[in-house]
Parts: sequence; structure tokens; C-alpha cells
Amino acid sequence: MPVPSRRDDAPATAVTGHADPGEAAFSAGAPRAVDSVGLGRARALLFVAPALLLIGVFLLFPALWTLYIGATNFERTGPNHVNPQVTWFDNYVDVLTDPSFYNSLWLTLLFVLFSAVIGQNGLGFWLAWSTRRLHRRVRRVVESLVLLAWILPSSVVAFLWIAMLDQRGGTLDALLGNPGTAWLVEYPMVAIIVFNTWRGTAFSMMLYSAALSSVPPSQLETARLAGATGGQTLRDVVFPHIRGHVLTNTLLITLWTFNDFGPFLITGGGPGDDTEIAAVYLYNTAIRDGDLGYSGAISLLILVANVVLALAYLRMLRRRDSS
Amino acid sequence: MTRIRLTGLTKVFDGGVTALDRLDLTVEPGEFFALLGPSGCGKTTLLRTMAGLEQATSGTIRFAERDVTRVAPGDRDVAMVFQDYALFPHMTVVDNISYPLKVKGRAKPERTARAEEVGRQLGLEALTARRPSALSGGQQQRVALARAVACRPALFLFDEPLSNLDARLRLEARGFLKRLQRELGVTTVFVTHDQAEALALADRIAVMESGRVRQLGTPREVFARPADTFVANFIGSTPMNLVPAEVEGDRLRVAGGVFAAPQGVVAGSAKVTAGIRPEYLRLHDAEPTDAPDAPTGTVSILENLGATTLVTVDCGGESLSAVVPEDAEPAPGSRVWLTPQPGRLLVYDNDSGELLPRRDPAG
Repeated sequence: MPVPSRRDDAPATAVTGHADPGEAAFSAGAPRAVDSVGLGRARALLFVAPALLLIGVFLLFPALWTLYIGATNFERTGPNHVNPQVTWFDNYVDVLTDPSFYNSLWLTLLFVLFSAVIGQNGLGFWLAWSTRRLHRRVRRVVESLVLLAWILPSSVVAFLWIAMLDQRGGTLDALLGNPGTAWLVEYPMVAIIVFNTWRGTAFSMMLYSAALSSVPPSQLETARLAGATGGQTLRDVVFPHIRGHVLTNTLLITLWTFNDFGPFLITGGGPGDDTEIAAVYLYNTAIRDGDLGYSGAISLLILVANVVLALAYLRMLRRRDSS
Repeated sequence: MTRIRLTGLTKVFDGGVTALDRLDLTVEPGEFFALLGPSGCGKTTLLRTMAGLEQATSGTIRFAERDVTRVAPGDRDVAMVFQDYALFPHMTVVDNISYPLKVKGRAKPERTARAEEVGRQLGLEALTARRPSALSGGQQQRVALARAVACRPALFLFDEPLSNLDARLRLEARGFLKRLQRELGVTTVFVTHDQAEALALADRIAVMESGRVRQLGTPREVFARPADTFVANFIGSTPMNLVPAEVEGDRLRVAGGVFAAPQGVVAGSAKVTAGIRPEYLRLHDAEPTDAPDAPTGTVSILENLGATTLVTVDCGGESLSAVVPEDAEPAPGSRVWLTPQPGRLLVYDNDSGELLPRRDPAG
């Protein structure tokens, strides 16, 4: 039997040198899972079954179902709903030649870049860094306020933002004293980018707060004693320590923002298709327009984009670990 | 070379804890100065206040007559070595050593040359391209020292520089540190809780407790004549014998026997504490003729200290210990007499804990 080449096969090799040849032979094929409870494969499977069932019904089946309807002309109503035809790759060809698909990809890119990668990341880090030496109570208050934006239900938050940005008697117009600016019509992308930055900064702030506490104080003090400026300290001491955190955080908020549906509650993708980011485009195609087969194809393409993004980040993370 | 002068230095933390209490202290130019004390005595706070990492609540700090009390740490011209060395894990040895020069805006060739020169001086030439994680504890400590040396500061501040090393390496590093300080001649203040380390390294020691200096002196003074019972207890690897005593004329009644009282101790202070280091106590196997009524008792415990033995004697309800050479070890249970070496017996006031007779501060 070939001994699998594993890092922890060292003990087995050590035993090979043992005086008793029988024992050596016995342990040669040793690295294998041991059924220490004596359950047996069948009964062990029984214990895992409920979890597998739930995953199958709620995750695996919808995914496969989407894959299937993406290859049909299935619609929400009408004859194609009753009797859908398999059209194979027609939907994909249509999507990839549809300008509104590229419009939604472009808007999603802007949305992710400005509200997550720059907005939440930057603001979250700045909040964590600038409050770290404040009194504990002051920090708690800041944290609570930022956190509030994160834990409020989306519908409540959407209502608040509409009330704030509305053309007729909106809070922002009242504050600025220039009534009549329809922020959600005139600057819809800016509005949802600012909204999402506000909404999601709490996560980055908390993650960076924790990350900053892992930077040894003596290293920060060494930089201080050398006379380093704030910028130099960040570059030379802080960022090298929290690079892994920055990458992980950026990956997470990128994926979340990519699939975020929150802006729909404020702009509904409009005016026109000005804020029709990927998740909203998908929803509008499937539910508003009833084109389920077409939206199945879109969701698979969005999934592919997500996977590509995640792989790129993970690759960066791994390169950092090996260096 | 820089003189450090602290006057009325006080540090009260936000919670109301007084870490430094109206401290006056002068460190002479080129001196190797130890701040010694148990944890929480304020020694580290004092060092950090000198570095500027803590802001003094009141009082002044002067480096060579320049008032630096409110000066930013980076402008004080000091280098500090931390207990955990604070090496940057993502930089090579040479980059770590030259980091303060980089911050000061020196050109790369210049700072690399300096870092390599200092590295060579400290025996690090083979390691310059490594990262700190690939170094042993002793090597890391030398890199931290090299980083402090490379920027040629007016002052070194060391925070427990040896306490992260194992016992044998610590002895080695101790010698290294002392030689380095002698060669560079830079005024150095270091913090330690290890009295042996302070005695071995320092030119002068300040023994601290609750934010105040209890005694200031050379290692010899601090060891031989502790100013109070706190210092007496703290200094010395074998604890000093401190036993209740009574003054009777020019004699001191101790542990069921009698010692000659030190000069100047008068009968006015009847109840006192007698202090004598085990190293300064002699053992006799017969009653000494020149010291009748010396305390006597039976040997209860023998502790081997290598070339010497620590003997504990039960006499008159007290335990007294004495250090004897290995070939003069008494048998356990045998009867012995104890006498102090001339001039080594100390007497402390019971109320204040201070050494008697009180000396005129000017003398």
C-alpha cells in the first residue's frame, strides 16, 4: 500500500525503525480517519442527513433550478409559463449582447468601488484609527451611532433616506435652505453610494478596531520615538500588520455590496435605469418584467463575476502569506 | 554626554493613580543608571515619561539643561529599547536598524552603511538580510540595541532589556550590555525588577516604591547599607535577616542573645529591628570568647548555593540565616553561635523603617 505523502507522516516513519516488524507494518498505512466511537458509516450519515437535506433543499436545488430555467424561455405568466421550451444558450447570447446588462455591470462597478472599497473601507479605518486613543466612553458612543446605521431594518433606513433626500420637504433641502433639489433624480448614483457607505461602515470600523489592537504598542512607540509622522507610522508599522485584515475586509464588503439590494428600496433602479445595479437589474428583469429564463442566465453570470472576484482576493491573500 | 535632571516630577493617571510622586533625580553624564523596584512602583512610568511617551502632570525634565518636559518624543534625541524589542516583523535586520535614520530623511546608502557598521559592531554582520522571526531571542535583542545605537542618541532608555532572555543568555547579554555602554559612554537609564541585574550593571541605582525613590546610591551602598527595611528586603539574592531587637545601652538584644550595638544607636529607640545579611553573619561551633552572650541555636536547614551554603539557625524563637563556605558547613541539629562581621550590623527604626542612626542628609 503506498503511503500517502503527507506532512504528518513523520511519526509513521519513526515507527518503521522500531524493533518489532509487525508493528511497523501495521502503522505503515496509518494516516486514515479512525472511527473511534464505533458508529459505522451508515449511522454516521444519518446524523449528518438533516443538515444535508436543508442545504440541498434551500441552496443546492434553487441553484440547479436557476441553471435550468436559464436555459429555457420560462416566464412569470402566459403560455411560456405553462409550457416552457428549452432554448439552450439563447438567453446567454441575448444577455451578453444586451446594453442594459453592461449598464448594470458598470453601475455595480462604480457602486462597489466608491461605496465599499473606498467609502466603507476608508471611513471605517479612519473611524477606528482616530477613535482608538479617545476615552472608552466616547468611543462607545461613536461605535453605537455607527452601528445603528448597520442594524436598522432596510425598509426603515430606506424610508429615512427618502425622507431626507426628497424633493418636497426633504430634510437635506431644508438644512441647505434651497428647496426643490430632487437629489434622488438629479444625483441618483451619488445618493445610493453615500447611502451604502453610511449603511455599511460599521462592519469595517469594528474589524479595523480589532485589527489595530493587534499592532504591538511598542512598535508604534518605536516609530513615535524615531519621530515618524502619522502617515509614516501608518505606512511602516500599521499597514504591514493589518494587511491581511484589509484584504479580508475588502473581499467581504465587495461581495456583499456586489449583491446588495438595498438601493432598490430607495430608487427602484431609477430614474430610468440610472441606478440599476446588478441585483436590481436581476430583480426588475425577473419580477417586474416577468422574464424568468432571462434572469436565470443573468444570475449565473453574476455568480461567475463573484467567483472571479473572490478568487482574485484569495490569491492576493495567499501571496501575502507566502511572502 | 547628557545630564538628566528631574525636578518635582509627578504623574497622575486618568483613573487617579499617582505613579510618580514629586520625584527629584539627577543622572550624571555617561552614567549607567538603574531604576529598580517591584512591579507597580512607577519605574516604567518614569522611563516612559523621560522618553515623552507619557506626559508629566507636573514638574520638569531637563536633558543637558534643555527643558524637554513638553517636547515630542521624536525631538528628544533619545532611543529606547523595549522589553519585547519592538522589531518590525516585515523588515530585514538592516532595515530595522536603519529605520530611525529613514524617518529622519537620510539617504539610503548612508543609512545602510551606518546600519551595517553598527550591525558589525554588535556581531550581527551575518544576519543583516534576515527577518526578526528568523532570529533567536538574544539576536533580536542585539538588533534592538543596534537600532538604538545607530541613530547616535544623547540618551539610551532600556525597559527591562534582559527579561525576555533565558537565564544563561541573560548573563551573557548583561556583560555585553555593560561593555557596550562603557564603549559608547552614552548616558543610559534602564528599568529592571531584578535586583541582581541592577547591582551587576548599574553605576548607581534608584530603588523605587509607590512613585518615590526610597534609596539612591551605588550598588555597594545599596547592598551594604539599605536605607530602610523595604530596600533591605528587596536587595540581595538571599533575603536579609530582619529580627526584632532591643537597645540596652551599647548592646543590642537579639534572638535570645546580645550583639554590640552599632555606633550612634542610642537607647532612646528601645524597640528596633536588627538587620544583617546572611553573607555578613559568622557561624561558630563554640561560644566565641570575644563575644559572650552571642545568640545561639540549632541548625535547622542547609541550602546548597554552590560554592557556599545557606544555613538557617533556630535561635531564641527567631530564624537567622548565614552563608558559610562549602567546607565550613555545620551538621544539621548541631549547636552554633552567631556573630556579625564588624560594621555590618544595621538597626532600623520600628515605626519609620529607616536606618539608625539617621544620617545628616548633607553628610
